[in-house]
Amino acid sequence: MRGIHKRFPGVHALSDVDLEIAAGEVVAIIGENGAGKSTLMNILGGVHQPNSGTIEISGTATKIRSVSEADAHGIGFVHQELNVLDNLDVGANVFLGREPRRFGLINRRKIAADTTPLLARLGLEIPPETPLSELSIGQQQMIEIAKALSKQARIIIMDEPTSSLTLTETERLLEVINDLREEGISVIYISHRLGEVRQCADRVVVLRDGKNAGELQRGEIEHDAMVSLMVGRELKRSAHERNEQEALTDGLSIINLRTTTYPDCEVNFQVKGGEILGMAGLVGAGRSELAQTVFGVDPAMGGSITLEGLPIQLGSARESIRSGIYLAPEDRKKTGLILEFDISQNISLASLKDHCSRLAIINRSSERNEAQRQVDALKIKTPSTATTAMNLSGGNQQKVVLGKWLSMSPKVIIFDEPTRGIDVGAKAEIYKLMRALADEGVAIWMISSDMEEVLGISDRIVVMHEGRITGELEHVEFSEEAVMHLAVGGRQVNAA
Amino acid sequence: MIRQFVQLTKQHRRETGMLGLLLVLILITTFRTTDEGVDGLFNSRFLTADNIKNVTRQIGIYGIFSIGVGIVIITAGIDLSVGSLMALLGVIFLYLVTPAETRPGHAKYSETEFELQPWLVHHIPEVSWPTAVLVILIIGTLIGLMQGMLVGKLKLQAFVVTLCGLLSYRGISRFLANDTTVNVGDTQQDLTLAKTLGDGSLGDVLFGKLNKGILHSVPMTFVYLVAIAIIAHIILHRSVFGRYIFAAGRNELATKYSGINTGLVIAFAYLIAGFCTAFAAIPQCIYSGSVQPSTHGAFFELYAIAAAVLGGCSLRGGEGSILGILIGTTILIVLRNMVNLLGYPTALSDAITGGVIFVGVLFDQHGASIINRFVGHINRLFGKKNKAA
Amino acid sequence: MKIPALPFILNLSLFLSFALFSGCKKSTLETTSGKTKLAFVTNASADFWAYAEAGIAQAEKEFDDIEVEFKVGDGTPAKQRELVEALLVRGVKGIAISPCSPKGQKDMLNEWAQKASLITVDSDAADTGRKFYLGTDNVAAGRQAGELLKEALPEGGKVMAFVGLGDQANAVERYQGLKEAVAGTKIEILDLRTDEVDFGKARRNAEDTLTKYPDIAGMVGLWSYNGPLILEAVKDKGVLDKVKIIAFDEDPRTLKAIDQGEIFATVAQKPYEFGYQSVKALRDLIVENKTAQDLGVPETKQKFIETIIIRKGEGEAYLEKCNAWKASTKK
Repeated sequence: MRGIHKRFPGVHALSDVDLEIAAGEVVAIIGENGAGKSTLMNILGGVHQPNSGTIEISGTATKIRSVSEADAHGIGFVHQELNVLDNLDVGANVFLGREPRRFGLINRRKIAADTTPLLARLGLEIPPETPLSELSIGQQQMIEIAKALSKQARIIIMDEPTSSLTLTETERLLEVINDLREEGISVIYISHRLGEVRQCADRVVVLRDGKNAGELQRGEIEHDAMVSLMVGRELKRSAHERNEQEALTDGLSIINLRTTTYPDCEVNFQVKGGEILGMAGLVGAGRSELAQTVFGVDPAMGGSITLEGLPIQLGSARESIRSGIYLAPEDRKKTGLILEFDISQNISLASLKDHCSRLAIINRSSERNEAQRQVDALKIKTPSTATTAMNLSGGNQQKVVLGKWLSMSPKVIIFDEPTRGIDVGAKAEIYKLMRALADEGVAIWMISSDMEEVLGISDRIVVMHEGRITGELEHVEFSEEAVMHLAVGGRQVNAA
Repeated sequence: MIRQFVQLTKQHRRETGMLGLLLVLILITTFRTTDEGVDGLFNSRFLTADNIKNVTRQIGIYGIFSIGVGIVIITAGIDLSVGSLMALLGVIFLYLVTPAETRPGHAKYSETEFELQPWLVHHIPEVSWPTAVLVILIIGTLIGLMQGMLVGKLKLQAFVVTLCGLLSYRGISRFLANDTTVNVGDTQQDLTLAKTLGDGSLGDVLFGKLNKGILHSVPMTFVYLVAIAIIAHIILHRSVFGRYIFAAGRNELATKYSGINTGLVIAFAYLIAGFCTAFAAIPQCIYSGSVQPSTHGAFFELYAIAAAVLGGCSLRGGEGSILGILIGTTILIVLRNMVNLLGYPTALSDAITGGVIFVGVLFDQHGASIINRFVGHINRLFGKKNKAA
Repeated sequence: MKIPALPFILNLSLFLSFALFSGCKKSTLETTSGKTKLAFVTNASADFWAYAEAGIAQAEKEFDDIEVEFKVGDGTPAKQRELVEALLVRGVKGIAISPCSPKGQKDMLNEWAQKASLITVDSDAADTGRKFYLGTDNVAAGRQAGELLKEALPEGGKVMAFVGLGDQANAVERYQGLKEAVAGTKIEILDLRTDEVDFGKARRNAEDTLTKYPDIAGMVGLWSYNGPLILEAVKDKGVLDKVKIIAFDEDPRTLKAIDQGEIFATVAQKPYEFGYQSVKALRDLIVENKTAQDLGVPETKQKFIETIIIRKGEGEAYLEKCNAWKASTKK
């Protein structure tokens, strides 16, 4: 791809971007949100048309006018949001829209026969008749890749393929990418996770503000080098000061708590006021469910929680909120925000009682003022508090979620994957906010699957595995190996 | 000033558009029904005192239950039971004000042999009509609450719950009435006041029936509608509960995550719908003079849904306004009146209504692009340079 | 080109479409000054009323000083009220109506009678301001059906009756007449099954009856569509030779089945006469200033129009007549 320009109304999304991929090469494209990665890939995948520029495949200039043309040119696209139908089986998904027919009916035998070797190539040992709903997210992702392979794809684009995968699934995917490379298939890998990029990429292409910002060859792919190319400046990893253990207050204690997901496991731990407790673990370890149970949106099977020594009624989000326990949930768009509501409506939703008259009539100016206060304090980038949440970037949306809780009086804030899908700059701001809150004495419980984040931000780490706490690490014990060891279910080795 | 007005129309785009449509309808009807010597504004039959009264009386009844259904729709729910519930409440209301002996099926009652229908008919007490009205309001509200609990708390699908209501209330009312018509005339009470309050005009209530004046063209049902609409507007658009209704309709999960008991909020919306239906059921019962349980109120739920959708409520929930629902209702009723007054075949009435809703909604959503494309074609045709974009 | 004010455009386009729509048909109002406006309002839609419409059209043709609106109800008093109120606004002077709930509509009928000359057709509303009733003597018609039943089943047997709405006066009266006629014979009327004008249910009713009473000897359909639906059920079951069917009215399927010997006979009303006579009567009352007595209406204020029995061999001829009526309304 050469000199690609793409303009959207009001935005010059790509200007003069070049991209070259050799056969059997794994190229990672990185860049902050809005840098143009997705637009570039959508042009290659036939979703958008460039305003100017050329695309050459095997030396011949080509126009890719539609997704089906991209298919024909051997370009497969595995989207971030999976496009699989979980009411069908594996084979049906792989051949969706191209079902082999016999006498006008779907030829199931041929589907099965063709699907099996594809699955074997990807190391999936499942029969093609397995219903998709029985597969894990990682396996479903493999099915998407199988679909691309079945179309004889020579280039496979993967957009944030690991954002919802577990660590083992991620490892598996990286292996598959390696295998594909060996077969001579090119992979374009888009990710925010620089660790993975370092592991798998032959070359890294960095985009910034719709332009090529630089390239790193195999030997040069280092974390700091990538980050500085992405943000265009040296970004210091925040080396924060940690609060002294003595200054911590009691905070939130979780006592013998059992969730509906793991009804047989009792969970015990404490988040102290003033600290950031990181919670690591694999996807499916039951961390989010635990947070939701503590917050009261999921029912508890047993156990209790106390805040500053006082018991809190379980199973009622209302109770938790009244006591000052707040949750910034994993899925902002589904559970954190009402996207169609404006900023002030989102911020006031949980505290409307503070902005209304005795007859429960809302005092709109009081509501707006509070929202404005939060917008200013959190530096939410928006023209006004009347902007709908839908029109904000991921980072600003997360700040609105925070604003909702900060407008009340937080004692405990549970952050579930606080920086997922948020670009590097905004990430740093969120971290700063968390630290500031901890300094004010708020207990911060941060659930994260991002190893760097857990190690870099936390004062203390607890690790979960299949519903149990498998260990706790003090700051001096922090290391990737130690966390991984516990996350896969290993026993804690008592460090001296 | 003008700026503020433009801002207002932008914020309430759907309402403004539909208000425009309504005005157009009114204009057309007004000027197509002018005739010499007609005692109405502009000599229009549409604007005669009688017709205005007829139209606003209907708007009153339909508007009241449409508001209830609209609020339910805003919670991303639906209420299909309105018409059947009206039939059931109508039968019960008329039973409550008639002596047991004259009720259908009572002849089969005997002390010794138990049979359900006659037994029920025998044991529903006869009460004074104000008590009966109160009982009906309570029953309607409770039925609404029951449906609301099933939808909000037990998480059953609203469509299914209220569809069961649609079938079963109709069935129960026919069973209760022994599948015969129950007449207002069967009562032995003096219902004059009830009839005036339900079917008369504000003037009738204030100055007596014999006088004539402008207030005699304002039916009581319309007065009730205005009162209910004002209260509903404040609840929906100004109160905390109203905000919760919109929030639960938009994104129930996120609302729950803000510590709001969405089940209860939703249940309460159905309760309001039940109350509104009950409130409209009484004037409707008096309006039609009798309740044929098999046909009374048939399709009312669909008219309510149509009114709400026309007025800007989205069936996906979280969108809509009381003003919009009122405009939607008015459009429907004026359309029907227009068809009647212009002498179009009655059979066409529903087709025209459907067509107008369709065109209205289509233009509301895609009007700009349709027009833009149209303008583009014209420009190309005449070779003008299209400098847009 | 950008469209700034969408609502405005919306209005404009709708206005245009409406102007076009309404432009293609000139409102009858504007063309009829001088003529006396009359109206005929049915209870619901049915072919039966199409034949009445033919009679109305005939009357309209005969007298050029009247114009008649033909309005079709939907089976509810509320709809009839809406229609009549609009008619009164339009300046209609005389109304012939088939009230769907005569007792309950007392108040409104009285009110309308004050504003226009009102007669009831097909189903009566006594004790109201209506001038008189014009229609079938349904008890007598029921008796005629009973007599036909006696003729068809000399040996007697079990008989089931079917109707749409059991609470309608004509249903009640026909059923009553039917029972009266067969009283004291070996014919046993089991019950009256209702279907709420749901054709599917009407057929199911007939099927269920055949299943439940294998020894059923006769089936009577009191409303026009009941006959053909009973016939279908009977044919399906293959018991055409065992079950005698008596129908009402002149559904084409009924008439054909009569000639084929599948339906024993039908008691037909004369809807054409209903239409013609009612319009003529209204005109006499309003234009000629006659009184009901002048028109030969008896003290009971009920003027009956005889029914006609159609037996084997007469079906085809009657069907042709019906079709001719229907055709005559399509102007």
